[in-house]
Amino acid sequence: MTLIVRSESPTPARTTVWLEGRLDAATYGELDEALRDITPLVDNGGTLVIDLAGLEYISSAGLRSLAQLRKQMHDRDGRTLLLNPQPQVKKVFEIVKAVPVAEVFASVAELDQYLDHMQRQITG
Amino acid sequence: MRLRIPNRLEDVFVALDRAERTLDGAAIDSGCRADVRLVLEELLVNTVRHGYPDGRDGRIDIHLDIRKDAVCLELRDDAAPFDPLLHEPPDLPGDIAEREIGGLGLHLARSIATDFAYARDADGNRVVIRFEPSLSDESPT
Repeated sequence: MTLIVRSESPTPARTTVWLEGRLDAATYGELDEALRDITPLVDNGGTLVIDLAGLEYISSAGLRSLAQLRKQMHDRDGRTLLLNPQPQVKKVFEIVKAVPVAEVFASVAELDQYLDHMQRQITG
Repeated sequence: MRLRIPNRLEDVFVALDRAERTLDGAAIDSGCRADVRLVLEELLVNTVRHGYPDGRDGRIDIHLDIRKDAVCLELRDDAAPFDPLLHEPPDLPGDIAEREIGGLGLHLARSIATDFAYARDADGNRVVIRFEPSLSDESPT
């Protein structure tokens, strides 16, 4: 199995990317390539949601790609939020403390609640 | 499973798939299968990328031994001497976007294995790793 990357950009403020399969030393290049097209669709200050429900495996090569992505978004005042990590991915995140726990969500509902909360803080 | 591969990235992934099929065939749970795959990927990719700086052809022997209570993995290679246990664990301040991310793979491999031993003899590097399926986080699927 390899890696499948899909994306949807309903608004310039928010894009969702779905990852399926394995993100490893053999496939990280495919993600990097796909994201080169996807990240410019997100406004400065926007949110990129990476849905990991279909990602069954990640290795350090995949972590490196996600790290670069988060850095790119961060440099543009944007946010990268991770959704639905599965057991192996969650375990790897925990071992390397890959991402702040506050940016990982177990469900879309939880993520929407967080974004609504952020929005309310901005609009007062 | 005994397998000898050349020091090329594409052969590493052939070996990973073979190992996973072998574990699957022996009814090893998915958590342990993923652990073995991850440790194998991190160590083999590291050997292929950094073990042969002169660009020569090399060979890596992989021996996977599935026992009743543990999965044992033995890797031998003729690469430059490298003890993965001497590698300093990386600093982990909580956000990989804000730090150098070298050494992550070895750190993962060492964290996930139950036992991890290194030796070097006349044939080259030898790493022996043990996994205990029952200690994996996931239940069988």
